[in-house]
Amino acid sequence: MSEIRFINEFDPNRTFSYDERIALLRRRKVQQTEEKAKAGGADEDDYGLIVQNVFDYKLKPNHPNGSIYGYKAWTENYCSILQQHPIYVDALDAFSAKGFLFLERLRPKTKKWNPDYAYPELQAIFDKYQVISGIDNCHHFTPDLQIGMDLGWGGILRKLKEQKELHDETHREFYDSEIEVVENIMAFIRRAADEIEACSREEKNKQLSENLRIMADIDRKIAENPPETFREAIQWSNWFSMLSRTYNRGSAGGQLEDLFNPFYERDIKAGRLTDDEAIFYLACMFLQDSRYWQLGGPDENDNDKTCHLSYLALYAADKLNIATNLTIRVHDKLDPVFFRESVELLFKNKQGWPRYSNDKALTEGFMRCGYSKELARKRVAAGCHWMCMPGMEYTMNDTVKVNIAMVFSVAYKDMMDNAGSITPSSEVLWDYFSKHLKIAVDATGKGIIHHLTYQTKSQPELILNLFQHGLIEKGENITDGGANYYNMCVDGAGLAVAADSFAACEQRIDIEHKLTYAELTRHMDADFNDEGGEYTRQMMLHSERYGGGDTIGDRWAVRISKLWTSLVRDLVRQHSDNPKHVNFIPGFFSWSNTILLGSILGATPNGRRKGEPINHGANPNGGFRKDGAVTSMCNSIAAIQPGYGNTAPVQLEVDPQIANDPEGVDKMCAMVMGIMKSGNTLLNINIIDAKKILEAHKDPYKYPDLVVRVTGFTAFFAMLSEKFRELVVDRVRAVNGDACEE
Amino acid sequence: MQALITNIQRFSLNDGPGIRTTVFFQGCNMHCTWCHNPETISMKPVLMHYSNKCIGCGTCFRLSDPPNAVRLEGGRHVIDRKILKNAEDLAENCTASALVMSSKPYTVEEVMAEVRQDKLYYDLSDGGVTVSGGEASLHSAFIEELADACHAEGIRIACETNMALPYHRIEPMLKKMDLIMCDLKHVDSPTHKKYTGVDNQIIFNNIGRSSLLGIPMIVRTPLIPGATNDITNLKGVAEFVSKLRNIKYYELLNYNPLGSSKRMAMDAEDPFGDCRPYSNKDLEEIRKQLQDAGVELKIS
Repeated sequence: MSEIRFINEFDPNRTFSYDERIALLRRRKVQQTEEKAKAGGADEDDYGLIVQNVFDYKLKPNHPNGSIYGYKAWTENYCSILQQHPIYVDALDAFSAKGFLFLERLRPKTKKWNPDYAYPELQAIFDKYQVISGIDNCHHFTPDLQIGMDLGWGGILRKLKEQKELHDETHREFYDSEIEVVENIMAFIRRAADEIEACSREEKNKQLSENLRIMADIDRKIAENPPETFREAIQWSNWFSMLSRTYNRGSAGGQLEDLFNPFYERDIKAGRLTDDEAIFYLACMFLQDSRYWQLGGPDENDNDKTCHLSYLALYAADKLNIATNLTIRVHDKLDPVFFRESVELLFKNKQGWPRYSNDKALTEGFMRCGYSKELARKRVAAGCHWMCMPGMEYTMNDTVKVNIAMVFSVAYKDMMDNAGSITPSSEVLWDYFSKHLKIAVDATGKGIIHHLTYQTKSQPELILNLFQHGLIEKGENITDGGANYYNMCVDGAGLAVAADSFAACEQRIDIEHKLTYAELTRHMDADFNDEGGEYTRQMMLHSERYGGGDTIGDRWAVRISKLWTSLVRDLVRQHSDNPKHVNFIPGFFSWSNTILLGSILGATPNGRRKGEPINHGANPNGGFRKDGAVTSMCNSIAAIQPGYGNTAPVQLEVDPQIANDPEGVDKMCAMVMGIMKSGNTLLNINIIDAKKILEAHKDPYKYPDLVVRVTGFTAFFAMLSEKFRELVVDRVRAVNGDACEE
Repeated sequence: MQALITNIQRFSLNDGPGIRTTVFFQGCNMHCTWCHNPETISMKPVLMHYSNKCIGCGTCFRLSDPPNAVRLEGGRHVIDRKILKNAEDLAENCTASALVMSSKPYTVEEVMAEVRQDKLYYDLSDGGVTVSGGEASLHSAFIEELADACHAEGIRIACETNMALPYHRIEPMLKKMDLIMCDLKHVDSPTHKKYTGVDNQIIFNNIGRSSLLGIPMIVRTPLIPGATNDITNLKGVAEFVSKLRNIKYYELLNYNPLGSSKRMAMDAEDPFGDCRPYSNKDLEEIRKQLQDAGVELKIS
């Protein structure tokens, strides 16, 4: 368990350069990560969460089932946590603000949704098709931190009080809760300032004592007032991050240049900041939390946002060299030097950052939903696979998933149950699949509406509400109409399993007549363990796959994508009478649910055994092509993009050796640019030494600082469970073709 | 027109500039003992046996013609390649791909269908298509047609060739290339013949003549421990290359151990099985010794 106070660690007269402080902080982070891993790890983002044993909070439920529901209970518990939460202090760091827990996770796991608003009929459909409905999920949208940086906590409080007076009783609960939350936040930060100042007096090293004194002064100031300097702005954003995470894990960055460059330029002009200091502050910000930040990209006039601070952000991440979620938005006018440097750092550090998004595909896609280019450009990278307009929309991004592989499985069984009256074929199967996919998607749409209708009764967004444009004025929780726009994310998972299964049936049964549907069904029922089962499994497994390049599997994947897109878009029509004007946007992503969604899925015609994970996001299944050609895989993923502004990311693993000289970097720049220009939306990339990852898989503690991009997020490899490590290792094997066989 | 092709490898980064698709042809007029694509030497498709993929279904035993050409001895598959008549049948029916034929016939359009899918990547990286082998020039008519098809679609094409055929047979193909990559493995004729089966005089002549075509060229030497790696040889090649026109650079190719698993799959001997690629330190030492050779050097 980690300590939470780091003072008097060094000789009183020792002085530290910024680089030394970063190195020492990094060492501490690696150590804390190792402790986290040994404490059980987690198959998710790092979140900057500190595992410690000095503070434990016991939930005060307001329901007999032991959970908390509604404004009052969330407010009481959150404020209670803030009143007790110890202050983490590190004299080396430029900033305070480290959190220890998430209130939302203190609830009983199966009691998150308010039982007064149950949905048994929908749940039956969700269970049948393995729909992750997103009901009760929280925080998967983006606040606009600019609101807080303009107003400060004091300004937010004043605004809440003013608006409360303008609204009737129906909004009272909202305002009372938000006011109490903000007052407690301000008190918490003031307490932090006091405790840090006390630590400053205790700290014997002069340089570090002075650092703590400044930290305390800044906290005391921004507990109420807006930040005025670069350091204050980052400290403000760090507090936001910790406070939001402590509530319900929600956090986000935004466009880094938009938020911090005005402070940076002002401080530089005033002569109170150097680039070395700025890099140090940015490194400390990346250390505090692995929030998503977007760099570069075009403004509303198509001009590149890249500036000097963009470079400093890269250099800060380089010096820190840990899990950092930086996304570079690629467009025609992107600063080529900046782009190349980013690729060099990607290969130099091999930590899965940065990743790349494609402005053209994202902007044009979102505009197809009826938005202006200006608004589309505001949608910045903010999550594993998602974009969001900060402070403007509610999205449920990355929380809603339909397991298309399970839908296929249900359709296949339905077809075979009717085999007495129809002749099974891949085309007949398609008809069944279409019917079942529509049922699953329609139910998913209804689930989203149900969530929007009743989520406030379960979990109001007391922190993120404060950073929405116009929400405080409306006096409504974001799911009740507080957002400007409702763009609901609906992702398909298991695309490759379904596409490869269709392809295997068409190729081996319909075209080559190598076996019958009845024989295949018998083998699948036996999980291919019956006589001739493995022979058949191998035959199906080696059919023309999605990812192979204009294969039968590729054609089925495109067909499924088109159907998926049309069904999700039809939800807009189905719910057009909803007063929130709900938009539904299709994408393909599984997050790290590949294990869960595969675990209760039977054997499938593509040769996948019962219980094996489904494919990752929009990626093909492993072994999609003998040479594992990246270009082939990426072209296939480009071809299945739904095209409405949400993503179907490329998850790519690349060997570091291919960019070990300038020519190699050139090739990788071309590769990244090609992946973007071919129409892909997002590239999550890992630079992984196949040998190293195999060794780390066997002994995770051998490389405690090894970072991988698991899905959209990066994480320390040692933190992951064996099954999740296996997922990453499988993808490495897939693109290394036969060369990676042990 | 068709040609036997062993592999079409997309996202190829080691067979010329930029991102490429490399087309490997079956058949070679040399038989280098270290070849890392030994399955391409024969002019006919070779049955490859990857025992690690075998699922033990016994289909190959049942289909073998004559019946004893594939059999189990001491728990291991034994393939008597001299008497086996139906290798293609066995490969066709081996669903686990433990038995595969090394190549299959392609038309130019079939190759283009694969090649054109990565045109965007070629354009962004100054890459293109590379024909390799085996020995590509044994399929010169096919490659000439392929080159025309590539150029018609704005795709550059390069060849990797051993330059060991009469010049009049390779010149038409070479003239259609945007880049010529050729090997000169050893300057000493007897040594060259010992390891490759071919005298190097024709190669000297062909490289010399090709360098006058006005097409960029790269001359390469694979670094084979104990065979080509002595510095006298490398200096000799470098000196020869330094006098040529249109040379982009002289390239040393680090030893590629990929051939070992393939030889095992062919039940063939592996005289270089113990060899490993040179370390970066070794390569730097070689680079130092060649720094005054009068030609730009690249080590891959």
